[in-house]
Amino acid sequence: MKRGYVVLVVIVAVVLVLFFWIKGMYNSMVRMDEGVSSAWAQVENVYQRRADLVPNLVATVKGYAEHESSTLEAVVNARAKATQMTVDPSSLSEAEIAQFTAAQDELGAAIGRLLVSVERYPDLKANQNFLELQAQLEGTENRITVERQKFNEAARSYNVTIRRFPNNIFAGMFGFEKKGYFEASEGAEQAPVVSF
Amino acid sequence: MNSQTRYHMRTIRTIIRCLSVLCAALAVFVSTAAAQVPEKPAVPRAVNDFAGIFSVPDAEYMNRVLVSFADSTSNRIVVVTVNDLGGMEPAMFAYEIGEQWGVGSSKFDNGVVVLVKPKSASSSGQVYIAVGYGLEGAIPDAIAKRIVENEMIPRFKENDYAGGVAAALNVLMRLSAGEISYKEYEDSISAGGSIAMIVFGLLFVLIILGALFGKNGPRNIGSGGSHTSSVADAIFWSSILGGGRSHGGGFSGGGGFSGGFGGGSFGGGGAGGSW
Repeated sequence: MKRGYVVLVVIVAVVLVLFFWIKGMYNSMVRMDEGVSSAWAQVENVYQRRADLVPNLVATVKGYAEHESSTLEAVVNARAKATQMTVDPSSLSEAEIAQFTAAQDELGAAIGRLLVSVERYPDLKANQNFLELQAQLEGTENRITVERQKFNEAARSYNVTIRRFPNNIFAGMFGFEKKGYFEASEGAEQAPVVSF
Repeated sequence: MNSQTRYHMRTIRTIIRCLSVLCAALAVFVSTAAAQVPEKPAVPRAVNDFAGIFSVPDAEYMNRVLVSFADSTSNRIVVVTVNDLGGMEPAMFAYEIGEQWGVGSSKFDNGVVVLVKPKSASSSGQVYIAVGYGLEGAIPDAIAKRIVENEMIPRFKENDYAGGVAAALNVLMRLSAGEISYKEYEDSISAGGSIAMIVFGLLFVLIILGALFGKNGPRNIGSGGSHTSSVADAIFWSSILGGGRSHGGGFSGGGGFSGGFGGGSFGGGGAGGSW
């Protein structure tokens, strides 16, 4: 009789310990998963911020540099492509991020080419509106670098958590999957350099 | 005996060699770490003149102004000068300082880092104003750019570093406290800012009168805004306090920059320039 009690108490204790252990593990994974999602939202924000500057930039340049229509068109097309790109924030796999980055980098490169081509228009370069747009574009490029970096940090600590033993067993059970990173792509990482 | 001593000598020499290799490796490690931004100062200060471009009284004065500004508005502005950016972009250097030191409060992310790398014989001067997440609305990139171009670089070109930084701080403090909006700053550059300033001044007086004789009264006027219930309230009262103090000229030096590095976060906002 006494023995039965002891066994029962031990079983209950073990079950409770297991429950709290798994609960803690699961909740910390959820928290980190949310952290990655919100970091991703910030990344999309700053890219959107850049895309939002494009119409204004194109309109400003158009008024001064009518010979740059092909360069302008490239920017508009790249923007359309980049803004169509959507990534499911719940999966964020390596391939999806690479695809997203490729479209965004194309826009970055097109903007860079446009800024180089306007070097030939001194009137435009003196235009206050253009100068302001340029400051905003530079700031946005910095923000993109920063948010990508922060996303990578969040994704890395999440990945480390879900792949560590014994978390990996439960991560698999609960469907936590590895997140992708932003790879530093050649040249595209750099903000378009504009010197006057 | 002789061979034994030689053996000992060799062992010692090997140990010394190993140690020196270890030291070299350590030195490389330390120097790569040193190529990063400067360490967060143990005693938080608002003005960190690592390049030594300010006179001591100037640095002290700016520090006092920024400390009292921080006390009254909770916005933290930090000035950092360095002689070497370690190959980093000025924007990223200033961002890393802001992020690693945690300039501003973690609640409001209301920090600003003003980074100056003086011009030297071999390299151009660089300046960058990094704005924390919470102040990006008050100090947009284009305005930060204007502050750099209008207030700082012209003075820096004449080697007046303290003057340029002080002029920039003056604008930054008023913008971040909400005392003037960036539109008014823009106007003040382009049109002398006369009408806008008068209108704004009148409005300001009306608001103060309304607040003093209104139902609510001057709540929390002594607490410097940190205990007020809403952010807008805090900014409003602190702007009065901050404005009053900066116009009066009498600064009660709090000395410490307590809470200056409160874990504020930066998102890469701001602007810079070079000369």
